[in-house]
Amino acid sequence: MVDGWTGRRLRVDLSKSTVKVEEIEKAYREKWLGGRGFNSELLYREVGPDVDPLSPENKLIFGVGPLTGTFAPSSGRTTVTAKSPLGGGFGDSNMGGHWGPELKFAGYDQLVVEGKASKPVYLWIDDEHVEIRDAGHLWGRTVPEADAILKEELGSKEIHIALIGPAGENLVRYACILNDVYRAAARTGIGAVMGSKNLKAVAVRGTGPVTVSHPDEFYQVCADIRERMKRDLMVQMLYDQGTWLLTMPANYEQGWFCWHNFQKGFHPDASKLSGENHRDNFLSHREGCFACPISCGRFSKIKEGKYAGEITGGPEYETLTAVGPRIGLLDMDEVVHNNKLVNELGLDSCSCGGAIAWAMECWEKGLLTREDTDGLILNWGDQTLIDRLIRMIAFREGFGNILAEGSSRAAELMNRGADFSISVKGHDMSQDDPRGLGFAFGIGFATGRRGGDHLQGLPCLELTGGFYPGLVEKILGTREAEDRLSPVKKPEMEKYSEDLKAVGDSLTQCTFTHNWSFAVQPEDMVRLLSAATGMDISADDLLRIGGRIVHLERAYWNRLLVGCMEDHCPKRFTQEPMPDGPNKGMVFPEADLIPRYYDVRGWDRMTGFPLPDVLIEYGLENVARDLEPCREEYQKKMQMEVQMAEKL
Amino acid sequence: MACSLYHEGECSPVLSRMRVVKYEALGRNFPSVCSQCSKPQCLAACDQGAIRLNESTGAVSVEESLCTGCRSCLVACPAMGFHPVKKVAFKCDLCGGDPQCARFCPSGALTFRSVDEFLMERRREMADKVILTAQE
Repeated sequence: MVDGWTGRRLRVDLSKSTVKVEEIEKAYREKWLGGRGFNSELLYREVGPDVDPLSPENKLIFGVGPLTGTFAPSSGRTTVTAKSPLGGGFGDSNMGGHWGPELKFAGYDQLVVEGKASKPVYLWIDDEHVEIRDAGHLWGRTVPEADAILKEELGSKEIHIALIGPAGENLVRYACILNDVYRAAARTGIGAVMGSKNLKAVAVRGTGPVTVSHPDEFYQVCADIRERMKRDLMVQMLYDQGTWLLTMPANYEQGWFCWHNFQKGFHPDASKLSGENHRDNFLSHREGCFACPISCGRFSKIKEGKYAGEITGGPEYETLTAVGPRIGLLDMDEVVHNNKLVNELGLDSCSCGGAIAWAMECWEKGLLTREDTDGLILNWGDQTLIDRLIRMIAFREGFGNILAEGSSRAAELMNRGADFSISVKGHDMSQDDPRGLGFAFGIGFATGRRGGDHLQGLPCLELTGGFYPGLVEKILGTREAEDRLSPVKKPEMEKYSEDLKAVGDSLTQCTFTHNWSFAVQPEDMVRLLSAATGMDISADDLLRIGGRIVHLERAYWNRLLVGCMEDHCPKRFTQEPMPDGPNKGMVFPEADLIPRYYDVRGWDRMTGFPLPDVLIEYGLENVARDLEPCREEYQKKMQMEVQMAEKL
Repeated sequence: MACSLYHEGECSPVLSRMRVVKYEALGRNFPSVCSQCSKPQCLAACDQGAIRLNESTGAVSVEESLCTGCRSCLVACPAMGFHPVKKVAFKCDLCGGDPQCARFCPSGALTFRSVDEFLMERRREMADKVILTAQE
């Protein structure tokens, strides 16, 4: 009997219609932990650099960890991994809800989907019974429709379903996967990978237990942490307002409110989208994920106006800003409606907002005309147009077909407006501006595994760390790092946060417990892991596993010949001073911070590749070998770029 | 999860005395658990004397060693549970007076109080509507 983990991987080949169960051995489990760690390792080993993300050779991997399905607080999360059709490199996304625990109860740590079905299918996992079933009648259905039909068809409402909407079917490069209707694994276009396999849904019912090595000790650790979380200020605030609590400080105090595609960091009327306004006038009720005492999840109801009566899960802060101020909207009912729309069609709100914002800024600057847009006029904040455009993207109709490629590819296809694609490595930025949010965050944007995204490390130590007396000083040796716009110790802070987050994503435990709230510390994770699995490990060694995962994901990019030349924030953040608001005049000091981050990580400043000795130290000897020829090739690529630049 | 871990040493919804009926599309949840009623149908249905009422605490519980696994009590009341391995019935026993579900409920959806406390709270809610509204 395996405790914590199930020790089993379910592998489904849709081309051959085969299903097999593989053992995940103890040494492997303890090396990679679970969830994101398992997934990243498998992707690196099985999906090589030549694989087209939308081909049958790509693999769609769902992973949960040793804590998933247990009483450990906020442990019900799932990581979904695949080579990304948006950025063309490493891709993963993390979702809450109840689907992951259900997979665990069914008896699996990981589900790997390979190949491509000849026609639309869905997967039905009922404990040991695994079946590939026809999904012709589900194709074209929105997320809530398909969820309802499947529950009827399978004769049970006590099941959990992860599925794609029309956007995933139509291979929109930023389509997402949702479970329990409104819980999205949104980023990096993994929904399109699912669609490319003709896989509409994965329905799961699990009735088995998750056993733990030391039940009494495990119960006590969970009880201790839950008592602490109850008293934790950040947990209380997240329960009260959800991530909406960010709007007011982001705009009025810190100046990183994303207005008009990051052209500004401040808007005088941002309070229309405040957490208070949402809570008091739009909040229907709260809904937490499995085993979560935070319950940051919202359900919203629109009471008045043309969308009156609409009820939807969400939105949270990134979505509300993506399909809101980023494209010129400040009305709560419109933002909530757009959130409902992107969820039901199965789109990632951030990249969808990013693509529309790119087009609107191109329009504003005169780079796009009605001839390019099928007659559409792309004015900021035109809700009638935005509603229409979101649908056109999901179904790849007309100009929507261009935007469905993502802002970066759209700029390439149209051969204009590249600077208005606010993205890194082809992956649209979340609505976070390092000219105000913080410098550790900025390092993650430039170097992160997904491309532009706040969830590389979520280094909230520089935002909320100061609320925890002595915490930042204990970790980084100085209180100066509590100042989000100070460069002091920021590479170290980002590294620490990234390693910790990789551990959390692998165990799995929500990043809000240890990287926003700091109620859960690495020592607590060690206690949870030891009591659950019997594994004997120190906090430092646990963080080193996090570091191993980060390095492997970095190597995934390096193998694609991506390194220091590509580690850049959008020019808007590094060259355009913030025009107004609390941070007027600020730029992100990338040139100072990134090389220092490389040093802290043990990455070569010349290439941005991890040094061979460092990889070996992390137990990645094979990766060190793999990267040697890539490093040489990358250096040649760099020389050619230099020569090209000199010629110009 | 607190429930199944506390009682069975394993994390399993199937072993939990407290089950949640979910409506994912609406984001609504309905917790379902034994209400420790005064004329327990589960007790009446048990021919083996395995289900007993503790007079002092009011909790109705299953004596595992006497349960034959006939499942009559499951038919009598949906708040019962059945252990798939031990093949015996189980039910909420109020954890000896400190129900762990209520102890760890983060939102206040589950609380544990005496009947009188509960009723007085309801009465005050009603009274608030009259008194406090009149105040305004």
